Amino acid sequence: MTIAKPSETLIHKTTQLMREGMNAHAFGEYRAPEALGDARWTDELILSTWYMAETGKIPADINFKTGKSGGGFDRLEFGYIDESSWLPHSDDIDTSLTLNRRGDNKNKIDIDIPWYGGGMSYGSVSVNVMMSRAKNAKKWNSFMSTGEGGYPPELFEYSDSVITQVATGYFGVDENSIKATPIVEFKYAQGAKPGLGGHLLAAKAGEEVSKLRGSVPFVSLFSPFPFHSTYSVEDHSKHLDWIETVNPNALLSVKVSTPHDVDMVAVGSFYAGAHIIHLDGSYGGTGAAPEIAKKNIAMPIELAIPKVHKFLEKEGVRDQVTLIASGGIRTADDIAKSIALGADGCVLGTTDLVGMGCTRCANCEGGPSGRGCPWGLTTTDVELQEWVDQDWGALRLENLYGAMQWRVRDILRKLGMSSVRELRGRTDLLRYITTEGNS
Amino acid sequence: MGSGAILQSQTDADIGVSSKSQTLREFGAESARIGREIADSYERYHIHVHEVKDVDPLPHRFLVKVGKFGLAKLLVKELVTYFPKFDVILSRPCTYGVFSGPLGGFSPRPELCVGCLRCTVQHPDFVEVLHNPELFKLGDSYTTHGHITAIDEEARKGMVPVRGQGYRGRFGGPGFDGMLTDMSEIVRPSRDGIHGRELIGTAVDIGSKPMHLSFNEDGRLSEASPDMFTIQVPFIFDLPPGDFMSDKLSKVVEETSRTIDTLACIDADSVTRLGLDLPHVVPVLRSSDACRISEFRNSRLIELESWDIVAFEEARLSTAAIVGIRMEFREGWQGRLTDAVESGVKVIHFLADLHGRDPGGSFVSDLFKEAHLMLIEQGRRDAVTLIGSGGIVGADHVPKAIISGMDAVALDLPVIFAIQGRANAPLKNRDEVRGTLPKKFNHSWSVQRLANLCGSWRDQLLEILGAMGIREVRRLRGEFGRSMIVKNLEDEAFEGIAGYPGGGS
Repeated sequence: MTIAKPSETLIHKTTQLMREGMNAHAFGEYRAPEALGDARWTDELILSTWYMAETGKIPADINFKTGKSGGGFDRLEFGYIDESSWLPHSDDIDTSLTLNRRGDNKNKIDIDIPWYGGGMSYGSVSVNVMMSRAKNAKKWNSFMSTGEGGYPPELFEYSDSVITQVATGYFGVDENSIKATPIVEFKYAQGAKPGLGGHLLAAKAGEEVSKLRGSVPFVSLFSPFPFHSTYSVEDHSKHLDWIETVNPNALLSVKVSTPHDVDMVAVGSFYAGAHIIHLDGSYGGTGAAPEIAKKNIAMPIELAIPKVHKFLEKEGVRDQVTLIASGGIRTADDIAKSIALGADGCVLGTTDLVGMGCTRCANCEGGPSGRGCPWGLTTTDVELQEWVDQDWGALRLENLYGAMQWRVRDILRKLGMSSVRELRGRTDLLRYITTEGNS
Repeated sequence: MGSGAILQSQTDADIGVSSKSQTLREFGAESARIGREIADSYERYHIHVHEVKDVDPLPHRFLVKVGKFGLAKLLVKELVTYFPKFDVILSRPCTYGVFSGPLGGFSPRPELCVGCLRCTVQHPDFVEVLHNPELFKLGDSYTTHGHITAIDEEARKGMVPVRGQGYRGRFGGPGFDGMLTDMSEIVRPSRDGIHGRELIGTAVDIGSKPMHLSFNEDGRLSEASPDMFTIQVPFIFDLPPGDFMSDKLSKVVEETSRTIDTLACIDADSVTRLGLDLPHVVPVLRSSDACRISEFRNSRLIELESWDIVAFEEARLSTAAIVGIRMEFREGWQGRLTDAVESGVKVIHFLADLHGRDPGGSFVSDLFKEAHLMLIEQGRRDAVTLIGSGGIVGADHVPKAIISGMDAVALDLPVIFAIQGRANAPLKNRDEVRGTLPKKFNHSWSVQRLANLCGSWRDQLLEILGAMGIREVRRLRGEFGRSMIVKNLEDEAFEGIAGYPGGGS
């Protein structure tokens, strides 16, 4: 069956119904769908994210902080100081994050919020989703990453807010996209499928996607694992040198997953020249991954952050590198907890998608229809991708990020802090709760 | 010169190989020809899988309820609003065909629903998507409906289950859920192929490896060849639990084990009655019947149901096959293990209950580890093959059991669920499991379902080994360092955090 681009009327009808439905649920006009949510992303977390994306505010009466996974972030809460000492809520509470701590002559970049958007490739998501994220990143003086799928031409307008990712298949990597970006991200591994490489199924590798990836349409595209040119940290260093030759000002980010020796990997990356060490935990999102990999390989991010933070401190290099955590970061509270555990900031992926309507049905890879996400997010289907309008998506994310920034400030003021930078590594401010989190 | 000849490199232009003298050019051509012959005749081990339809499908995941009045109202409204734009009028929120049957939304097809929830989000006033309670009735607290649906899918498709989005379950957990496997950012089993996992070996040896080699004056081995054989996957089929034992099922596991080159444990009476005395069948004998062991002339491994030195000696003297011992994790198993191995037993098949526990509640990962370390301590680990049964109900349990010290594991409940059997909870004690196999199942269908399950589990094992950079599963045995225990990681990460109880939660 040939799927044609939908008419304007059909787009209008469908998007209106979808948006009205999302809002009605977010505002509690209907009972949450029984089948919505799971232990990590509960129905309340999904609906509260929709609410924040709609209003820019945090909801009053549902749990927007934690899931029900029974561990990790869901067992942690902050031990606030006495209420009488809380700071007033203020936009002056600093939430900025410095990405270049090496003190070298490369780009000096501070972003306004302690997180940015993670890699989701063109092919795994539509160009509309990429553009929504890029527009939002620009508004927040932050970033989003291309993922490994190339650089759609539309993105160049937002190149100051776009990280170019170089991954093991080198799909879509060219001189232009490396020169255009302030940050180049080397993806060694992905938390959801560590050590397994990537696979874009044939159905999602359409004309435009395959063109950008230098392939032919509707052929499965594999990113091998690992970089076949890397056998050691010295080889890794050569990779970074190569980028430096093409774009001498670019910051270098190294994205790795969380094996038992993640601390050593992090230190090795630092000495190879990385400005940003990006840890991607095992509970992170993906467009497609073997189910066996998601839970079983490598460790959750909550457990990796303190390990790396402490080791970098021990090595005496902690303040020369920016430690970023991702893979299972869902909420503003997760971000604050990550920072308290030792990260400088976080990367969000799934949260962005949920903000734009994702229900986490897990059919991103195509599902039985082979067409990808029915919400128009993780698809390049000519019809389905039209359900996400770029400006609508950007507005949703702008609202969501606004609410999240408010919540981060709210946590900081209740801890008597005027900057998120003060929170790093302050595990003494965390409490482990023995019942399910609903702090 | 035959392909088996050893080519010796010489720098001389004229090289003597076999009876004929060759020039260097001829030598090179001959070498290339032999190499090609060997390469062409090499057949990589592969389990042939293909999709096999269900004969008794599991309850579908979701129920879809549509209010007919609400739907009729919507149709009228859209007809009026959008006429004559039929592409708009006929468009529906489901891309999976739930509302594309002859009666559309008036008779939805919930079996096609994947739970994207677009329909109920768009039309909350008259569409509901609910969990199917029938699905939740499957299994018990250990072998959950999630395990059963995964096995069912694996047996149907023979593929590695792949989904979008991230992990959806609980953080860590008991048993195997509390163990994570490691990965390497750089090390690969091989740089060949796309991911380097194409050449990973999953073969394991059953029997006893020599602890050292002895040579005679001629430089030849002075001892008989090791008393062991190789199977291609580190899992075998165990005796079916409870009342599932049947002749039909015995024939299914026999043929599947032959097809994929593994072993099937079948009770000795059935082996005799069905004429299944074959190399891939492991007759299981009561110790009191050890005298019957000579009946099984073709078996490579025969198991006695429990440890009894007299029975073992009698059996050993009456057969050329390896005599293995099934050993429950009952009190005093450590002593029995030591006695058995000291007495020359080369295969120990451990049995925990179907929740993977011993009577004291210890989990198999700890029990397997204890047995493995005990034999290492005694300097006898390679003299014996350890096979573990109990609690292996997911693909990830295979590598985790091997990391815990087993050479291979045995599958019990997965066999039943692969061929769409239904077992009543609780699924804890082997003898007490009750259930039924599908009425319509036939032999070839079942064999393919079981082969599909094995193909899927083997491929998932390759994923795990590939991520670690380990080239063969034999090297994974007892590699505790390639696993991470969640409670240990939590202790390290959350140490000093107020309220953290320590030692996991």
